[in-house]
Amino acid sequence: MMGFCADPATVEGVKWWMCYLTTNTHISFYKSFLVVLALLALTAPLAMLLGFAGALARRSGIFPVSLIGHTYTSMVRGVPDIVFFLFIPIAMDQAFELTRHKILCPEVIGPVYQGNDFVVCTAAKLPLSTADAWVHTTYGFFLAAFGFAIVFGAFAANTIDGALSAVPKAQLETAAAYGMTKRQTFWQIHLPQMWGFALPGLSNLWMILVKATPLLFLLGVEDVVYWAGALGKTKTAAYFDYPHGDWRLGYFAMLLVFYLFVTWVSENFLSRMQAKFNTGQATIGGKKLPQGIAR
Amino acid sequence: MASKSARTRAGRKSNGFDDAIPVVHLKDIHKSYGDLEVIKGVELKARAGEVVTLIGSSGSGKSTLLRCANLLEVPQSGEIIFDGNPVHWKVKGSERVPADMNEVRLVRTNLSMVFQQFNLWSHLTILENVTEAPITVLGRSKMEAEQTGRKYLEKVGIVEKCDAYPAQLSGGQQQRAAIARALAMEPHAMLFDEPTSALDPELEAEVVQVIKKLAAEGRTMILVTHDMKLAQDVANHVVFLHQGVIEEQGNPSEVFGNTKSKRLIQFLSATVTA
Repeated sequence: MMGFCADPATVEGVKWWMCYLTTNTHISFYKSFLVVLALLALTAPLAMLLGFAGALARRSGIFPVSLIGHTYTSMVRGVPDIVFFLFIPIAMDQAFELTRHKILCPEVIGPVYQGNDFVVCTAAKLPLSTADAWVHTTYGFFLAAFGFAIVFGAFAANTIDGALSAVPKAQLETAAAYGMTKRQTFWQIHLPQMWGFALPGLSNLWMILVKATPLLFLLGVEDVVYWAGALGKTKTAAYFDYPHGDWRLGYFAMLLVFYLFVTWVSENFLSRMQAKFNTGQATIGGKKLPQGIAR
Repeated sequence: MASKSARTRAGRKSNGFDDAIPVVHLKDIHKSYGDLEVIKGVELKARAGEVVTLIGSSGSGKSTLLRCANLLEVPQSGEIIFDGNPVHWKVKGSERVPADMNEVRLVRTNLSMVFQQFNLWSHLTILENVTEAPITVLGRSKMEAEQTGRKYLEKVGIVEKCDAYPAQLSGGQQQRAAIARALAMEPHAMLFDEPTSALDPELEAEVVQVIKKLAAEGRTMILVTHDMKLAQDVANHVVFLHQGVIEEQGNPSEVFGNTKSKRLIQFLSATVTA
């Protein structure tokens, strides 16, 4: 904060705006944009990983493995997302704490579930109650990201499984005929050809993930929508240094711009990827490109 | 790589002291799908430098027999002997399967196949199609593989298309690229599964020309074809399959000029008028 902001009552005009927009709450607001981007950056690869694991599990010849794959994808896709967003972080938190409780304080006798309460010993708490605030925030954030990843991973698994099945059998048979092992066939032929089929579905998922980020608020992570609502509300001079009327419209417009910007960047990137996979293919998408592009 | 050293061993055996050992020897092959027996005890040999053509109507089992040679199809009984080394078997469930996948890969790397529908890998350029298996399977360096690849693309006359994708080529060009891909493996023998059947006559001619050139070089080939002219022109040995058994075989002048079996006479008259 700038020096002249020490007494907010005396500043006006541009200076007022400069002071107003750099208050601590505004800094938190700006940081929450990074939180959203961090969530996307963490969730997307994690969901892809779970998606691949889920798809490969479903296709496995080993029955228990394929059962796990099918259970994961069917269950998660069938239950309302919001239930999972709420369920997974709490369930994971309790699972961690329960495990730590059993290991760290075996001398404590008595049930962990006491009526409506979940009670573990102090040493088993996650994070420890002595930990800094940021540790608590980060821990909550990771649980949330994992919840998102599990939900989106199930959808990704379905998309990837379908795309793997869409690759023509002759392409893989030819690889076998040239002496490739199953592993080589998968990495050299099957996987690269899968992307073209999977990308439309995966890009949909990405856009839905972007739009789902405000649900973070439900999990106690203060995201952009939370802050925009809080900052935009009418502020009276009695309680606030920078009183103003109902500015929510302005704040929400900023969110609109932010989300549109993320969409624009994503669309650009994804259509470029799609063009790359379409290059030279005997598909409608492939034929749209100039014939001589690769020559 | 294990397959590479195994390949060298087999190579020495066939090219060295005993030329009488066939490169490919299929012995008493039986193959059925469920209750339907499509190959009923067939013996087939291709010696080094020999071109064997398989003819017969659709459903006679000629493609299936060819696919048994590189184990894309596993026959229920009979032996597959490659360069004098028989493939070993084991029983899995109620099926007979190859005992050692390394043996299978050894056969496949030395028996390059050309398919009716070309089957070029659609996500790779023509040059990449030709270098893919030599790099991945034979462990060649990229540079070495590209050098060899270009050499064979030049041989089939499409080296200028090496950066194009398969779908950007005509059928004839694709099939020639597929032949270059097979050649780039520098195999002991080549398998052609109706290589001209998916092409119109004009494009067919350019592929036929390449096949004739390879035959003239003394390459060992087994060729399944509907093209009687081609069969007659390139073959040292013609095999006529009918309903899963060999009805007639011999050198082309005998088989085509002095046909003995009634079924082959019927078949030939049908294909000529068609």
